[in-house]
Amino acid sequence: MRLPAGTAAGAPVRVPPGRGRALGRLAARLAVLAAALGLWQALSESGLIRADEFPSMTATVAALGHQLAGAALWAAVGDTMAAWVVGLLLGGGCAIAVGTLIGLNGFALRSVTPVVEFFKTIPVIAVLPIALVLWGTTLTMQYVLVAFAVFWPLVIQVFYGVRSMDPTVRDTATVLQVRGGRRFFVVVLPSAAPFIATGLRVSAAVALIIAIIAELIGGGSGVGVRILTAENSGPTAYPVMYAYILVAGLLGVGLAGAFALAERRFLHWHESQREAARHAP
Amino acid sequence: MHRDGNGIAAGSGQQAAAAGTAGRRRVPLLSALGRAARAVAWLWLFAVGVAAWWVLSAHSTSLYFPPLEKILRQLYALWIAGSARGQLAASLEQFAAGYAIAGLGGIGIGALLWSVRGVREATSPYIYFLYVLPAPALVPAVMTIFGIGFTMKVVIIAFAAIWPTLLNTLDGMRGVDEIKLDTSRVLGLSGFRAVRSVVLPAAAPQIVAGLRNSLQVAIILMVVSEWIASTGGIGYFIVNAQQAFNYLNMWTGIIMLALIGIVANLLFVLAENWLLHWHYAARAKEAR
Repeated sequence: MRLPAGTAAGAPVRVPPGRGRALGRLAARLAVLAAALGLWQALSESGLIRADEFPSMTATVAALGHQLAGAALWAAVGDTMAAWVVGLLLGGGCAIAVGTLIGLNGFALRSVTPVVEFFKTIPVIAVLPIALVLWGTTLTMQYVLVAFAVFWPLVIQVFYGVRSMDPTVRDTATVLQVRGGRRFFVVVLPSAAPFIATGLRVSAAVALIIAIIAELIGGGSGVGVRILTAENSGPTAYPVMYAYILVAGLLGVGLAGAFALAERRFLHWHESQREAARHAP
Repeated sequence: MHRDGNGIAAGSGQQAAAAGTAGRRRVPLLSALGRAARAVAWLWLFAVGVAAWWVLSAHSTSLYFPPLEKILRQLYALWIAGSARGQLAASLEQFAAGYAIAGLGGIGIGALLWSVRGVREATSPYIYFLYVLPAPALVPAVMTIFGIGFTMKVVIIAFAAIWPTLLNTLDGMRGVDEIKLDTSRVLGLSGFRAVRSVVLPAAAPQIVAGLRNSLQVAIILMVVSEWIASTGGIGYFIVNAQQAFNYLNMWTGIIMLALIGIVANLLFVLAENWLLHWHYAARAKEAR
């Protein structure tokens, strides 16, 4: 599964533009930002946007600055990230292990693929009430939920990755009697790496969304909870709510960027990345 | 595949003829058996799973995991014959409205941004920001503006689901062959006709991929919005049953939700095959 949208808007143009054009583009982007912020403030001050529905730009930015300086925001970000990391490791580890074991066996792969495709279409949040019943509003529940959400899209990618292994590489490994754990780490995993990387990039975005949902519904102390409590505390806390929403967005940007960067850095040797590496400035 | 053998170019005519005779020579009974065997290989594990659930849960006295038979009976009584039908209709209405706005808006705005390069380049980081922003975080904010009614849910579904379609439309249109665009210009096609007959078909596979991602997002937001701002709908039904310790009803809601996801995806694939059959046919020819 290729998700081109993930790289669509943020990706650099294929031909590197001249310095003048790049500067012009940067200026245009900053101008758009300034215009949007200005319009927001003007609408708030003119009363077209009511403060008890949507806070003014200055109030929101001030709240964001205040929060960034305090410890509460960083604690919340840490909690959300903890659920994200643990869930991703748990779900990712299971998906890679199960995916390789099944992907290496033709019969198992043919039998399991429709079941996985089927489970993939079930909205992950359908499992949330079951997780709530089993583990209550605990961290375990959040971990399990994120891991579950990560597992399905990733395991399919691992199937594809293992199946697409170069037959020459596979046969060479067999002739050289590379077996067991060594075969897994030296032959299978590197072959499947680009597929796993794509799957991980998609899963990481899903994991963040699910971590926030788990917090909104299951409680805890992460970013999602802060947003909900700010909403419940009434209009005076709305700037804080929007500050936390901006933080959630920045988390998304940071994680997506980190994954794209890591993919380029650690997979530069693989054919799928060579073309991109050649065009990189 | 051998059906479209007549229309293809001379170079691969021989292959097409061979495929044609092979198709004709196949004995109908054998091919039917082959299809049945493939269906069995395709479905056996799934059937075993459901059967195992049925048998293992049959005498379950656990409060959390009632017997599957009871769940299915209750499912029929509530969702097909009974009172929960209204909840389902309310959810699907919100979902349909939100997804339609997201799909049409995503394609429309994506096309506009594609045609005005300066605006596209100036706004792309902000669109990307909105795309990666985890949409459920916005539910409380949308509640403060639109309350907890129908409008709020349609707004949050549309706002969350628009980005995958928009970005894929933009990306697909940017990938259109320059030569095709130049040709349409030379032929004197008007802007609108060029978009309709050159750009849209070329970008269609990627637009459809975007619409598929939007579909998943829309279903998730449909449930989450009902979950947090509870007035009705399937998400409300599930959370209500769970909080009332009515686990039987909760399970029926979960299965219903899974069915919605499966049916929506199935309908999407059918629509995709119908809309893009020319694309797949062309690709199959290239692969041959």
